[in-house]
Amino acid sequence: MNIENYKVPSSIAGAAQLLQYGDATIVAGGTDLTPQIEAGARQFAATLINIQRIEEMRGISVADGRYRIGGLTTVSEILESKTLAADVPVLVEAADHFASPQIRNAATLAGNLCNASPAGDMCIPLLLLDAEVELASWTGDAVSTRKVALSDFFTGPGKTVLQAGELLTAIEFNQPADDFKACFQKSGPRPALEISTVSMGVAGSYLGGLLTNVRVAVGAVAPTPLRATQTESVLEECLLDDTLIQQAVEVIQQEVRPIDDVRATAWYRKHLAGVYLRRAFEIIDSEKNGN
Amino acid sequence: MSAVFEKKTVIGKRITKPDAPDKATGRTVYINDMVLPRMLFGKILHTDRVHAKIISIDTSAAKALPGVHVVLTGDDIPVLKFGTTRDNVPLKAGKVRCIRDEVAAVAAESDEIAAEAIRLIKVEYEDLPPVFSPTEALKEGAPVVQEDHPDNRSLEYNFSHGDVAAAEANSDIVVEHEFEVPYVTHCCMGPGCVIADFNSSGKLTIYTQTQYPYNYKMDLAPAVGIHPGDIRVIQPPVGGAFGSKLDVYPFEPICALLSKAVGRPVKLTFTREEEFINSPTRQPAEFKIRSGVNKDGTLTFRSVDCLMNNGAYTSWGPTTPVIQMRTFTGHFRVPVVEYHGLAAYTNSVYAGSFRGYGNVQATFVTASVMDMLAEEVGMDPIAFRLKNAQKPGEVTPQGSILDDCKLKECIEIAAEKTDFLNKYETYAGNRKKPGRIKRGIGIASSIHNAGGAKIHKSDGCGTILKLDDYARATLITGASEIGQGIDAVLSQIVSEELGIPISDVTLVCDDSALGPWDVGVHASRTTFVTGNSALMAAKTARKQVLDAAARHLDMVSADMDLREGHVVHADSGESVIKLDKLLRRMHFADEPELVMVSEYYEPNSELEDKNHVGNLSATWAHGAYVAEVEVDTETGEVKVSKITAVQDVGRIINRLGIEGQMEGGISVSLGYALSEELQIKDGKVLNPNFRDYKVPTAPETPEIELHFVEHDCKASPLGSKGIAELPAIIPAPAIANAVYNAIGIRFSAPPLTPEKVARALHGASDQ
Amino acid sequence: MEIEIKFTLNGRPVQTKVPPTMTTLSMLREKFDLTGGKLACGEGECGACTVRIDDRTINSCLMFAVDCDGREIQTIEGLGSVAGLEIMQQAFVDHGAIQCGYCMPGMIMQARYVVDQNPDKDRAMTRDDIARGLEGNVCRCSGYTKVVDAVAAVVLEEASA
Repeated sequence: MNIENYKVPSSIAGAAQLLQYGDATIVAGGTDLTPQIEAGARQFAATLINIQRIEEMRGISVADGRYRIGGLTTVSEILESKTLAADVPVLVEAADHFASPQIRNAATLAGNLCNASPAGDMCIPLLLLDAEVELASWTGDAVSTRKVALSDFFTGPGKTVLQAGELLTAIEFNQPADDFKACFQKSGPRPALEISTVSMGVAGSYLGGLLTNVRVAVGAVAPTPLRATQTESVLEECLLDDTLIQQAVEVIQQEVRPIDDVRATAWYRKHLAGVYLRRAFEIIDSEKNGN
Repeated sequence: MSAVFEKKTVIGKRITKPDAPDKATGRTVYINDMVLPRMLFGKILHTDRVHAKIISIDTSAAKALPGVHVVLTGDDIPVLKFGTTRDNVPLKAGKVRCIRDEVAAVAAESDEIAAEAIRLIKVEYEDLPPVFSPTEALKEGAPVVQEDHPDNRSLEYNFSHGDVAAAEANSDIVVEHEFEVPYVTHCCMGPGCVIADFNSSGKLTIYTQTQYPYNYKMDLAPAVGIHPGDIRVIQPPVGGAFGSKLDVYPFEPICALLSKAVGRPVKLTFTREEEFINSPTRQPAEFKIRSGVNKDGTLTFRSVDCLMNNGAYTSWGPTTPVIQMRTFTGHFRVPVVEYHGLAAYTNSVYAGSFRGYGNVQATFVTASVMDMLAEEVGMDPIAFRLKNAQKPGEVTPQGSILDDCKLKECIEIAAEKTDFLNKYETYAGNRKKPGRIKRGIGIASSIHNAGGAKIHKSDGCGTILKLDDYARATLITGASEIGQGIDAVLSQIVSEELGIPISDVTLVCDDSALGPWDVGVHASRTTFVTGNSALMAAKTARKQVLDAAARHLDMVSADMDLREGHVVHADSGESVIKLDKLLRRMHFADEPELVMVSEYYEPNSELEDKNHVGNLSATWAHGAYVAEVEVDTETGEVKVSKITAVQDVGRIINRLGIEGQMEGGISVSLGYALSEELQIKDGKVLNPNFRDYKVPTAPETPEIELHFVEHDCKASPLGSKGIAELPAIIPAPAIANAVYNAIGIRFSAPPLTPEKVARALHGASDQ
Repeated sequence: MEIEIKFTLNGRPVQTKVPPTMTTLSMLREKFDLTGGKLACGEGECGACTVRIDDRTINSCLMFAVDCDGREIQTIEGLGSVAGLEIMQQAFVDHGAIQCGYCMPGMIMQARYVVDQNPDKDRAMTRDDIARGLEGNVCRCSGYTKVVDAVAAVVLEEASA
């Protein structure tokens, strides 16, 4: 498809108005779009909309106990945020394992989420935080927004509930409580430059040897980033002793639905899921919070 | 009062690479950057079948696309057989035999138009039953890949010395092991690229990434249908080669045929995906090895069977037994040896040369087996190796003359520098103890040809050297500079002999019309052969200059020296005359005299006879490396914390350069050991990208400690030995041996990926 | 269609027209003859195309050229001057980090950025920090040791300056 229109809106309203006509490809950093076009996995629509100049989609802010991260926030900006490092280190940890510095500098959070890779590294900690995405569209004569829980956002590999005409403008989550502990692990041996074989986040309110509000999120083991709810319920409000951990490991190995692919077999992914879950508790149990 | 100059040397110093500043500023124009006037862009249609008859090719839409100048198929050109065994043609007609097969080619006004034209070509196929494994290919009734080889048998190598059956009967211990080594690929950062330009007299100038510009003409000529003498080979700067450019591959003659058809220069560049799929791989192989050893630790025999996947066409890969055998028969003293290697045609991709050339595969096997045999006889890995190490002067069953063998020294130094035995015992003792991370230490060694390798009638190199009126030297050499640093080395040699600054030496080595002959960059030969050639020429020039100085200045040439651009008194260093002044005097004398010399250096080596016996290389070198690893016994991840490399290098010419070559080679071997594998399934490449083909990156690099066994190698006037392949050979088995030390599990099929290691540790219980 | 863009390139204001799908790398190489940055993978997996946009480095093979509008771009050709090599370039030369050199424009640009934006100014960058900063730059010749040597030397030199 040859591109017939190129637009550079400078506001969410401007972008939403353009999107209402459909047939548009949105570009931000291009770190997923360009390779996918090259590979023939995607084609350009007639209109190309560059959203990089929408300043109101940038920035990390916290107000009234709620974080708002603009969709155009890059993975580097997350990695370098002192606020996040202090408050939500698990998000920073995931950013540190993401691709490469050059990709982090260009990859936006909105782009990563909308790309909906089953291995999406940034999705994992956001699922631990019960994040919501804000989706904006033009209705009538104004911007309207809706919020979708991230755990409801992904519908399949590369697929989300984002409608034609919608733009992912921000990600929000509540500031974690003081007793919130979380950790992120990703398969190596490279620190980064890896599409995950498996990535995992484990979190909860940690109080004297047990976790409440347990969250377990796993990447690259299912068609979408997975909230391992069965594993979570096994762990919820139970003493984290060896028996429980072993039980949880067995459950997660059943709960994940990995495939064999060029990177790893289903066996190895299940094996790693068990390894990471067990390690998560060692990490959470240690003095440092998370990492 | 004349200036005084002390005797200084540049040999053995840390010399920066002359072309490095231009590379650091982005000024260097690589072949991939070149643009010629009126140049068109070529692209190839590769088949999507692994074995099929071509029923029809419809190029009409492609031809009609604006901007397309020509579309060629196999039917448009004569049958132009080329290749190691003449089993390849540039554009395939009639049938395709593997996923690389080139079915059509286009020249157009841009890369984009050429790519679009390729997409518009429609090919109809009738699939044929394929065969992918050499074992299957050798069976009765297997699909025939190449009609001239109905039994699918390609190259075969046999060597035998002594009576294996008797040796086996007399051995205290006999063991058999199997190994399988993978497809890996060079991953040159500069993807495949060629520019072909036929002139109006029918002569071809080809800008190529080749690393063997002279024999290349002989190999390219039949693929294009012209006389080799009508080919001019230009070698622009390249983004790596590592052995991938030691043969003619179809994309180059195809580009030439496009240029011939349009009468304009045509440039053809591979995308990275095309590079992964079409670049020749390292030769994969399956090994069966029977070894005998006596209770006192003496090796008694080795019997090796090597089965190779030839792929659909024969390039250098299946010839690697020539060098494999040298290690199997000659690394450590083995009185009775036998080798059988066979390559079988399949509908899969095919292999070429890659740094280490057969010795990577052979050493993985021998170094692993040496450790296993040591364990069988209850000796530690060091003592067992020392027990069987050859001494200087020994000759191997194939006739490799180990004139200045430093194997023993290398092993001893490696063991001492790493506190090997203490760690080895400690880590082995820790295997059963609790703890997620297990440390291990492992040693491996090998031998490699270090004075060239006489696989052609000549292994020589020609050099032409001139000095101009400003005392600037131009060295026209047959050598090829492909990034390995021969520019620094040759400049040092000329600088040393003629007493001029390195920066006053200009190297010309990119034009076959100018350069005298050289075999090419392979076999770790470039410093040894082309360096000795340059030395010969520099010495001849030096003699001419000093003789002329003696005549012009009424002195004795033996009393003079050349230092820092001056002719000086050898004893006092006092300047007699500036060199440039002397040269002008010579030039404008009544009997004018210019310094223009030429020499040809042939190393003292021999071709193998038909039984594979002969001293193939002018000298041989050994290395012993120790790897220290940490194994995460849960995830299977192996981290190499340190490589200690001890190698016999003879005399070091460029200390900075040799370190870089060692470190770079070690990285290649690290990838081979742990992460690199071109995954081929049913003849198709599953991971043709950097995302899924994992080359080592900076954070994965271990600490490297280099120890050079330095001495003057008598076989080399320069004193130096070839060095650059051993570092790409030895680390991988050292790492595998270290992993065994850590977790007590042997891996006989690299790479030792995390999954492989995890399966070996946990597979049974998890299922 | 072509889009007109204006930006600063190696310190000079420039303008050009680009098709909307052109990558920044292609624009730099084809429209400005800046062939230092290389197309080595086209997928952001090797870093040979690394250039500086404003205060960040990115893989120019992934970035849309139209997005350069209004920005400041620095390529390897803009590091250093006619007077001589810039300190990082010189360090790579002096430490023998450059062999075939194909990856080096991207590597040097990334190295410069890594040192410039060292996030923890209170502590000197370690070799591990440097290696992590270069994890997106593939080199097949050097084995990275001398690359890290060169960058570490620059860190030391600039710290004491």
